Amino acid sequence: MSLALSIGLLAAAGVFLVLQRGMIRIILGFVLLTHAVNLLIIAAGGVGRRDAPFIGGDTSMAADPLPQAFVLTAIVIAFAITVVLATLAVVGKGDDDTEADSSLELSDPEDSASEKSGDLK
Amino acid sequence: MTLTAILFATLALVGITMVATRVIGRNAGWLAAAVLAGLAYAVGLRIPEILEDSGSGSKTVTETNPWIPSLDISLGLRLDGLSALFLIIVLGVGALVMAYSARYMSERNVHPHTGYFAWMLLFAFAMTGLVLANDLVLLFIFWELTTLCSFFLINRSGDKASAPAVRTLLVTGMGGLALLFAVVMIVVRTGTTVVSEALSHSVWSEDAGFTAGIAVLVALAAMTKSAQFPFHMWLPDAMVAPTPVSAYLHAAAMVKAGIYLMMLFSPALGGTVVWQSILITTGLITALLGAIFAMRNFDLKEIMAYSTVSQLGLIVALIGVGTPTALATAALYTLAHALFKSSLFMVVGIVDRQAGTRDIRLLHGLWRLMPVTFVTTLLAGLSMAGVFPLLGFVSKEYLLGQMLTAGEAAWVGIALTAVAVFASSTTFAYTGRILFGAFSSYRGTNRDPDPENTQRQRKDIREAKPLFVGSAFLPALIGLILGPAIAFLHPIMGAAGSAASGQAYAASFKFFGGFTIEFALSLTIIGLGVLAISQRRRLDTFFEGRILNFTAIDVVEGIRLGLLSLGAKVGNPTRTDSPTQHLATPWFIVGLVAIAAVITIPSFSTPVLGGPWTDWLWLGLLVATVLPAVITKSRLVALILVGSAGFVVALWFFALGAIDVGVTQLLVELLTVVALVLILRRLPSVFHPVAKNRQVFTAAIAIGVGVLATAVTLVFTGGRDISAVGQYFLDEAYKDTGGTNVVNTILVDYRALDTFGELTVIAVAGIVLIGILRSRQMLSSRGADVSGFGNSSLARTADNTLPIRVIARWAAPVIILLSFHLFMRGHYEAGGGFIAALVGATGIALAYLGASEDRSAPVRWPYRGLLASGVIVAVLSGVWGYQVGSFLKPVRFDIALPWGGEYGFTSAMVFDLGVYLAVLAIIIAVINELGGVRPSENQPASQAGPVLVADRYAHFIDKAEAPSDVASESEKGGSL
Repeated sequence: MSLALSIGLLAAAGVFLVLQRGMIRIILGFVLLTHAVNLLIIAAGGVGRRDAPFIGGDTSMAADPLPQAFVLTAIVIAFAITVVLATLAVVGKGDDDTEADSSLELSDPEDSASEKSGDLK
Repeated sequence: MTLTAILFATLALVGITMVATRVIGRNAGWLAAAVLAGLAYAVGLRIPEILEDSGSGSKTVTETNPWIPSLDISLGLRLDGLSALFLIIVLGVGALVMAYSARYMSERNVHPHTGYFAWMLLFAFAMTGLVLANDLVLLFIFWELTTLCSFFLINRSGDKASAPAVRTLLVTGMGGLALLFAVVMIVVRTGTTVVSEALSHSVWSEDAGFTAGIAVLVALAAMTKSAQFPFHMWLPDAMVAPTPVSAYLHAAAMVKAGIYLMMLFSPALGGTVVWQSILITTGLITALLGAIFAMRNFDLKEIMAYSTVSQLGLIVALIGVGTPTALATAALYTLAHALFKSSLFMVVGIVDRQAGTRDIRLLHGLWRLMPVTFVTTLLAGLSMAGVFPLLGFVSKEYLLGQMLTAGEAAWVGIALTAVAVFASSTTFAYTGRILFGAFSSYRGTNRDPDPENTQRQRKDIREAKPLFVGSAFLPALIGLILGPAIAFLHPIMGAAGSAASGQAYAASFKFFGGFTIEFALSLTIIGLGVLAISQRRRLDTFFEGRILNFTAIDVVEGIRLGLLSLGAKVGNPTRTDSPTQHLATPWFIVGLVAIAAVITIPSFSTPVLGGPWTDWLWLGLLVATVLPAVITKSRLVALILVGSAGFVVALWFFALGAIDVGVTQLLVELLTVVALVLILRRLPSVFHPVAKNRQVFTAAIAIGVGVLATAVTLVFTGGRDISAVGQYFLDEAYKDTGGTNVVNTILVDYRALDTFGELTVIAVAGIVLIGILRSRQMLSSRGADVSGFGNSSLARTADNTLPIRVIARWAAPVIILLSFHLFMRGHYEAGGGFIAALVGATGIALAYLGASEDRSAPVRWPYRGLLASGVIVAVLSGVWGYQVGSFLKPVRFDIALPWGGEYGFTSAMVFDLGVYLAVLAIIIAVINELGGVRPSENQPASQAGPVLVADRYAHFIDKAEAPSDVASESEKGGSL
C-alpha cells in the first residue's frame, strides 16, 4: 500500500513539475517520474519476497531478479537523458525559460499554430 | 549465369559505374552498356532451358536463396517465358540507353553524371529484380524501388523538376500501397509468399469476391505505374527529366513494370469480369486520350510521352482480353513498343542536342541536314504507326484480330475494334506530325512559338556523330528486321504467352496473314491517318482550343494541396514552441489507457495492503522531500529536495531486496545532483513565476495521474509471486554463468544485448552532449554572491575548497581501489560495471569540486575516446562470443593462478569493462563539458551567434593564413 502511494506521489509530483515553466523544473519532474516508473517495475515483480537475489544461501524468499535488471538499466539510461536535458537547459538565450512570450497563461493553441503555419509558407 | 548472379551483377554495376564516372566521365556509359548487353546475352543463353521440347508451353527455372527464413520470405528468383522477355527488354534497352548517355550527357560538366548513372543502373537493378522475383514480398520491394528510382531520377533534373517528381511519387506510391494490400491479402489467404505457388492456388477459383478484390488492387497498382487513365498525367509530367531517362522509363522500365505485373497476375485474375472490364475500358480510354493529346502538343518529347500513354493503353486492353493469343500479342506489342519508343526518344534527344529545340514549330527541313536521324525516325515511327513490313505492323494486325474476337457478343468486339482503329489512326496521324513537323518544312498553325526556345535554337545544324545516332538507329533497325523474321520470336513469345495465360500455347504470328479483315482494317487506319495528315492544318487549329478547362495535373495538384492543408489542420495543435502542451497530452492519453485497463481487465490480483512498518517510513520521507520540492521557488532548494527524494527511492530499493539497484540509484542520484549543480550557477536562482490558474490546472492533471498510478500499482502488482523467468534465473544462473549475483548475470550474460543497447544509448548521449556544446554557447556563469562573507576564507574559492581537497587526497586512492574491487566481484556479489564506474566517477566528481577554479579541474582524460572504447570493447567481447555461438555469448575458462588455485574467467567481464568505460566516460564528459573546463566558455552569451560564425570562418582562414584565437581555442577544447 505504501509503495503504491509512494509511486502515486512521485508520479503526481513529476507530472506537476514537468508541466511548469522552465527547463530545470522539467528535468526535476523527469527525474521524479523515472523514480515512479522504476519503483513500479520493481513492484511488478512482487513485493512479498524481499531477500537480495544472490545464489549461495536460501533463495526461497529472494526477490525477482528480472525487474531489478531492467531497472538497473533504466536508471543509467535516465541519467544519460537527464544530462542531455541539462545541457539543453544552458544553451538557450538568457535562461532556461521554455515559453516564448512573457504571458503566464497556457499559450493559446490557435495563436501559436497560426504563427507557425505562417513560418511554413 | 545463375539468376542470382545476373541480379547482383546489375547491382554491382551501379557501384562500378559510379567509380568509373570519376575516372572516365560520361564514357562510363559505354562500360555500363557493355555489361548490360552481356547480361542480356546471358539471359538469352538460358532461354532454351525454359522452352518445352514440344514447342508449346513454358518451363520455369527457379532459384531460392534464404533471406528472412523466420518470416518464410526468400530471395526466390524465377525465369519463365514472360520474365525472360521482359528481362531482355530491360537489359537490352538499358544497354542502348547507357551507350546513348555516353554521348548525350555533357562532356564538360561531369560532376552530376555519377548520380545519373547510379540511379539509372539502380533502376535497371530494380527492374531486373522485379521481373525475376518469385516471392511476393520481394516483388513488392522491387516495385517500390522502381518508384523511388524514378522519383530521384526526375527530381535531380533541375529546379522545375521537384513538383513533377513529387506528383509522380504520389501517384505511383499510391499504386504501391494497393500492391502492398494485395500482397498481404494473398499471403494471408494462400499461406505462401512464393509467386508461382500463390498464383496457382485454388482460392482464385473458389472465392470470387477475393479474386475480384485482388483484381481491383493489382489493376490499380499496374495502372498507376503504366500511366493509365485516370493516372496518366505523371508520365508527360515527368518529361522534365533528361531524355535518356524518359527513353528508359517509357521503353523498358517504369511503365513496363505495370505491364509485367498485369501479365504476371493474368493466370490468376484473367477471365474475371472485374479484371477484364477494368483493363479493357481504361486501356482503350487511355489509348484514345493519349493519341488525342499527342495531336495537341508541339514539343516532340511531349508528343512522345502521350504516344507512350496511348500505346500502353492498347497493350493493357489486350491483357484485359486475356486469351493466350491476346497475351502473346501483348508480349509482342511490348517488345515492338520497347524498340520503336526507345529509338524515338533517343532521336528526340539527338534533335534537341543538334538543333537546340524540340518544338515542331521551329524545326524544319531537318531531313536534309540530318539524314540518318531522319531514317531512324522514319523506321521507328512507321513501326509505331503499324506500317508494313515493320514489327509494329505484325503486332497491330494481331491486336486488331484479338479485339474483333473479344467478348461473347459480336457487338462488343466490333465496338472495341472501332475504338482501337480510331486510336491507331490517330497514332498514324501523330507519327506523321512528328515526321513532318520535325523534318519537313511544315510549321504547324500560326501560333507564336515559345520565345524561350527560339533563343536556344541553333543556326548550324549538323548530323550527330555516328556513335550518338547509332544507339538510336539500332533498335529501329531491329524493328525492321524482326518484322519479316517474326518466326524467330515464336519460341519466346509462345513461352511468354504460356506463362501469362497459365496454359500451353505455341505462338504462330504470321508476317503477312493474307487479305483478311485485319488487313483491311490496317488499310483503313493508314487511309484515315493519311487523310488526317493531309488535313493537318485544320486539325491543328481544331485541337488548339482547350477541350476541358482543367488538366489532370491540376486535379492531382489540387488533391495534393488539399491533403497538405488537411494535414496542417490536423497537425496544427501540435505545432507549438511550448513543451507544456507536448508534455501534457501524453498524460491524458496514459490516463485514458489506464482507466480503460482498470475497467476492462476482468480479474486482477488482490491488492497487498500490509507490509513492514518501515515501508510507511519511506513513504513519510518521500512526502517530506517531494512536497516541498514541488512548492519551493528556489532552484537550488528544489534540486536538493529532489536529490533527497532520490536517496529515499534508493532506500525503497534496498528495502525491496534490490541491492544493486539501490546502490546504483544512490550513486546516480549523487552524480545527477553534481551535474545539475554545474548548470544551476548559469541560471537565475528562482524559478519563473507561473500563473495561479495554470498551477491549479496542472495540479489537477498531476493529482489525477498520481491517483491512477497508485490504483494501477495496487491492481496490477498486488499479491503476485515471482515470475517464472525470475525463478529460472534464480535456479539456473549459477550453473549457466558461474556467477552468484543473479542481477549481474542477467545484465552481462542472459540479456547482454539489452545492456549493449543501453551502453550505446550512453555513448550517444555523450556524443549529443558534446555536439550541443560544440555548436552552441553555454550561458555565462552568474557567480555566487559571496560579498557577505567579507574577507573570510569563505569568499575565496581556493581556501573554500580546502577541506574537500584534503579529503580528496586520501579518498581518491580508496575510491579507485573500491571501484576496482566492485568491478571484479560484480559477477558474484553486489557490484559490477555500472556500480564500479559510478563509484569511480564520484572520485572524479570529488576532485572536480575540490578544484580551486574551473580551469584547473584536474580530470583531463580523453572522454570521447573512452566513450568510443567502451562501445568497442563491448563489441569485441560480443564478437568473441560470436566465435563460440552467438553475439555476446560469454566465453568461460579457468586461469591457473601462480600461487595455486584457479580464477574463473568469463568474457562477460570484458563486456562489463565496456560498460565501465562508457559510464565513466559520460560522467567525465558531463563534468568537463557542463563544468566549463573548456576554455571558450567565458565569452558573453549574447555574442553566441557572431562568435559561432566567426568560429566556422576562422577554421578556413586558419589553414590559409594566421591562426585565429577562437579556432585554436576550440581545438584545444576538443583535445581535452
